[in-house]
Amino acid sequence: MTEPPSSSAVSFSRLTKSYRVGHVFQQRKTVLHELTFEVERGEIFGYLGPNGSGKTTTLKVLTGLLFADAGEIRVLGLPLADRSWRQRTGYLPEHPYLYDYLTAREYLDYVGQLFGMPRKPRADRAAELLRLVGLERSADVALRRFSKGMVQRAGLAQALMNDPELVILDEPMSGLDPLGRRLVRDVILALKKEGKTILFSTHILSDAETLCDRIAILRAGRLVDVGRLADILRLDVAHMEVLVSGVDPARLAIEGVHGSHPLGERHRLHVDERALGSVIRGLEQAGGRILSVQPVRQSLEDFFFQEMGGRDAVGSGEGGD
Amino acid sequence: MNRLFAVATNTFRETVRERVLYNLVFFALVMTVSGFLLGHLSLRQDEKIIKDLGLAAIDFFGTLIAIFIGVGLVSKEIERRSLYPLLAKPLSRSEFFLGKYAGLCATLFVNTGVMTVGVLATLFFAGHRADLHLLRAIYPLYLGFLLVVALALLLSTLTSSVLAAVGTVGMVLAGRYSDVIRNMRQVAPGAPQLLVDVLYYLLPNFANFDFKDKVAYGDPVSAGTLGFATLYAGLYVAILLTLGLVSFCRRDLQ
Repeated sequence: MTEPPSSSAVSFSRLTKSYRVGHVFQQRKTVLHELTFEVERGEIFGYLGPNGSGKTTTLKVLTGLLFADAGEIRVLGLPLADRSWRQRTGYLPEHPYLYDYLTAREYLDYVGQLFGMPRKPRADRAAELLRLVGLERSADVALRRFSKGMVQRAGLAQALMNDPELVILDEPMSGLDPLGRRLVRDVILALKKEGKTILFSTHILSDAETLCDRIAILRAGRLVDVGRLADILRLDVAHMEVLVSGVDPARLAIEGVHGSHPLGERHRLHVDERALGSVIRGLEQAGGRILSVQPVRQSLEDFFFQEMGGRDAVGSGEGGD
Repeated sequence: MNRLFAVATNTFRETVRERVLYNLVFFALVMTVSGFLLGHLSLRQDEKIIKDLGLAAIDFFGTLIAIFIGVGLVSKEIERRSLYPLLAKPLSRSEFFLGKYAGLCATLFVNTGVMTVGVLATLFFAGHRADLHLLRAIYPLYLGFLLVVALALLLSTLTSSVLAAVGTVGMVLAGRYSDVIRNMRQVAPGAPQLLVDVLYYLLPNFANFDFKDKVAYGDPVSAGTLGFATLYAGLYVAILLTLGLVSFCRRDLQ
């Protein structure tokens, strides 16, 4: 079968999913509402949302663990039902549980068999991946003796066993210490350098901000926004932050100062960029000493909170998990 | 086919690393060897006692393994979510399901083989010939195990592993006493005939696999009888696995 030309690695079109809830009088609850977006080939795509927003549900539908009610998904240009794309993708589920009666090497060997890899390349690839995720010294230890972070690393290794074109990672940083998170970040960047597509879900915004080319934000099963970080976030300066000391708080009411936060003897001021010069002069005339002046841009976290309607909406759990 | 074989091989490895398996095999062998000791207490009956106890041990412990490991084969994978990364690979749900079944059948084959060797060795050390006629009772017992595993697998795709275990035990017990069901109206005349008939024909009839007494007494078990048992088991297993597959393949793995 010839693959139809497609620039997207994954495309979701009006994807809808509902669950039956309740015991006696069961009702259907829609957890994904007509999601439509694409993941381009060769990019790192972050799928963001608070807990319960439907990120994992989307990835489970994508990998065939759940069945969609409606909508269409294409993977590497092929319909979801065409199983051949699975040969070219890797998947790490959230909180992976790997067979604890196997060693990490045995598990990877088993995964290699499922991809139809011959014995020698299977063994070589397993050794290479165990080195990559820093588990070469624990390769022959039973997985039941692994810490949560080590299981997560082994899970990442199994997702890469077939050298996939598309890697789907559900909360890949979950359960990892700072070293582990750094390792996963490096692996993701290395995969991108090799031209792979990475689709990963996370609720850790700093990870998305440092890694992603594009992001999609999900709230209660609905797509809030999708696009390049630069397009979604206002990367122009939102305001200036001035750190000043030695000023009487009563004399901080200068035109252009939108707010001040005391930090011991110092004050952090939010200043309108256009009024910066006059504010600095006013502070100096009031006997203040300017310690620093910094431009402040909107962060993904600012955007996230703004879009989620503040803290109350975060983790509302309206969607699936 | 290679993927199904990989799942079966891994399941075999999984089950032989289960501690419960070794406990059951140990008790089965103890029970078999105890026939040797009991045989000394009854004059000229020791050979029959060894055969009786040996075959009963194979039957009882084989069925226990089939139920309790069979029930957990797929349901444990769903509860622990260990099948998630695997089903996202080229492995289909039917390959996974049938591979798990084949793996446990292989384990049961080895177990039954070990226990058979135990019975034959006990006979040999008691001064009797290692009677291969016993295989005419052991082979249909193994067919019964295959049926029990298929039943446990089906129920475990429909409900929790605990309920599936209870259901499988209940159906196996009922299937072992299917004559009681057939004659239910003699003791409970009010029982609806339709219900009695449905239960009798729906439940697996394990009497078709039970030739322990015949073989222990040295009575013949014809090839035709064994052929019927094979056909019956094959048909029943095929139906149970098909139903299990339909249920498993349509299930949302939340």
